[in-house]
Amino acid sequence: MIDQPRTGIGELPFASMGDLGLDKKRVTQCALSRICGVCAQSLDRPVAFVGSGEELERNAFHFPPTHRACAEHALEHWAPSWSASLGHPSQPESWVMVTTSGFEFVRQNADAADRRPVFSPNSILEEKRTPALRST
Amino acid sequence: MAIADVKEYTHLSPEEVEELGRELDQIRADIEESRNSDDAAYINRMITIQRRLATAGRITLFASKWKPAFFAGAAMLGVAKILENMEIGHNVMHGQWDWMNDPEIHSSTWDWDTAQPAEQWKHSHNYVHHQFTNVLGHDNDIGYGILRMAREQKWNVFNLGQPIYNALLASLFQWGVALHDLDIESIRKMEKDPEVMKKQLKQIGVKVRRQVGKDYIFFPLLTGPAAIQTAKANALANLTRNLWSYMIIFCGHFPDGALHFSEEEIEDETRAEWYLRQMLGSANFTGSRTLHIMSGNLGYQIEHHLFPDLPSNRYEEISNRVRPLCEKYGVPYTTGPLHRQYGQALRTIMKLSLPNKFTKPARHDSADSVEVPRGRKKDSERPTRRTETGTWTSRASA
Repeated sequence: MIDQPRTGIGELPFASMGDLGLDKKRVTQCALSRICGVCAQSLDRPVAFVGSGEELERNAFHFPPTHRACAEHALEHWAPSWSASLGHPSQPESWVMVTTSGFEFVRQNADAADRRPVFSPNSILEEKRTPALRST
Repeated sequence: MAIADVKEYTHLSPEEVEELGRELDQIRADIEESRNSDDAAYINRMITIQRRLATAGRITLFASKWKPAFFAGAAMLGVAKILENMEIGHNVMHGQWDWMNDPEIHSSTWDWDTAQPAEQWKHSHNYVHHQFTNVLGHDNDIGYGILRMAREQKWNVFNLGQPIYNALLASLFQWGVALHDLDIESIRKMEKDPEVMKKQLKQIGVKVRRQVGKDYIFFPLLTGPAAIQTAKANALANLTRNLWSYMIIFCGHFPDGALHFSEEEIEDETRAEWYLRQMLGSANFTGSRTLHIMSGNLGYQIEHHLFPDLPSNRYEEISNRVRPLCEKYGVPYTTGPLHRQYGQALRTIMKLSLPNKFTKPARHDSADSVEVPRGRKKDSERPTRRTETGTWTSRASA
């Protein structure tokens, strides 16, 4: 996306291709333009990240930064039943939301099994963990 | 010609490229781990100096009917604007200081003393320019949509006026940058999303009103009988900042040695390949510590493009490690004195005002036969997958 995006929360997060996972170009755009991965508007402070417990342990999130309210929206609307839209092909054991002031955007090396870029929060302010609600 | 065919690169095996990437990763990790209160003190000190200079300049202009006060006030204000735009605003909006958790010095809250809205700058600069650095058809910083800066860009008779457009762009740089993210070419081709354009025009309108109101109405009126002189001094300060920031920015990617890239799929490039493209597409300049601060540390353009979100005060330290790495791997590290770097950029502007047949390429491998249309490519025009390492191609600047 070379032009600026339209903004607002839609059927899907801005950075997502639904069942196909995350849109890598938009993930990069969110990282560098510092816009929200859910609504595509400029980020506020603090920045929120949504992901799995494992991502928190590794301090490496795949879904781009979001507003806090957008992160809560994502956890409520997409995480329980459509984890792929948040970059998780299968439901993780738990979902987390962390808020941070800053983050590092890390592109992957050639030998990485997963070539998707990741985000490493560098000044975490808050962690909120919720068990995944598995859809039946 | 693939990047794998560029002579600056061909001697490196894929393993060596990855090894270079790992060494650059280590530099990044070291700086991230060592960010500390000294760095925070640096940016706070810069902001304090900038605000004191701006205040002193504004106060001095109360006496601007007296010529020495006019020039002293304009000079202080000009330096304050340069500091604010280059060393503070540009770098804060890259997120270089977000780690401090300071509510004011943060990429999401800072708005700078120039006409372009911060949100549009973060799109056109942080994303488009830094992600597609020197990629023709993507990076609108190549000539700012006005100047022909690469032989691959199609020449037309309009280009004969480049020396004049260049002078205008330099003098009115603030306003050129304000319109930069609108992408005038896509508006002309009726390809611009009207909703996005409306939002952007509204943002620009608000910002322009604020800038004009501040520099040409509010502060001049505050100085009462000296209002007209104050407005003139403010215009002089803005002109100084415009000329300076234009020159620094043009030294970053247009001196001889900085390469242009003419096709890509860069979304899938590895970190090491991305590092290499940034190094080959950027150019540094040498100078004193003061010169580097006044240029937002963009004299370390190579280091800035490698690590755009690391604190600018650490670029000198980083360059002391990057340059030996370039020597070790035989990768060019383009640098030189400011006057030489700008002279080369200016020569390119003059040279490319003429059709290619009247000028000689700077490099033997620069092809004149490939022409890249003007304007940014749309998302739908970009390839979706890179099929092999190094599918982008590279050309010389001029």
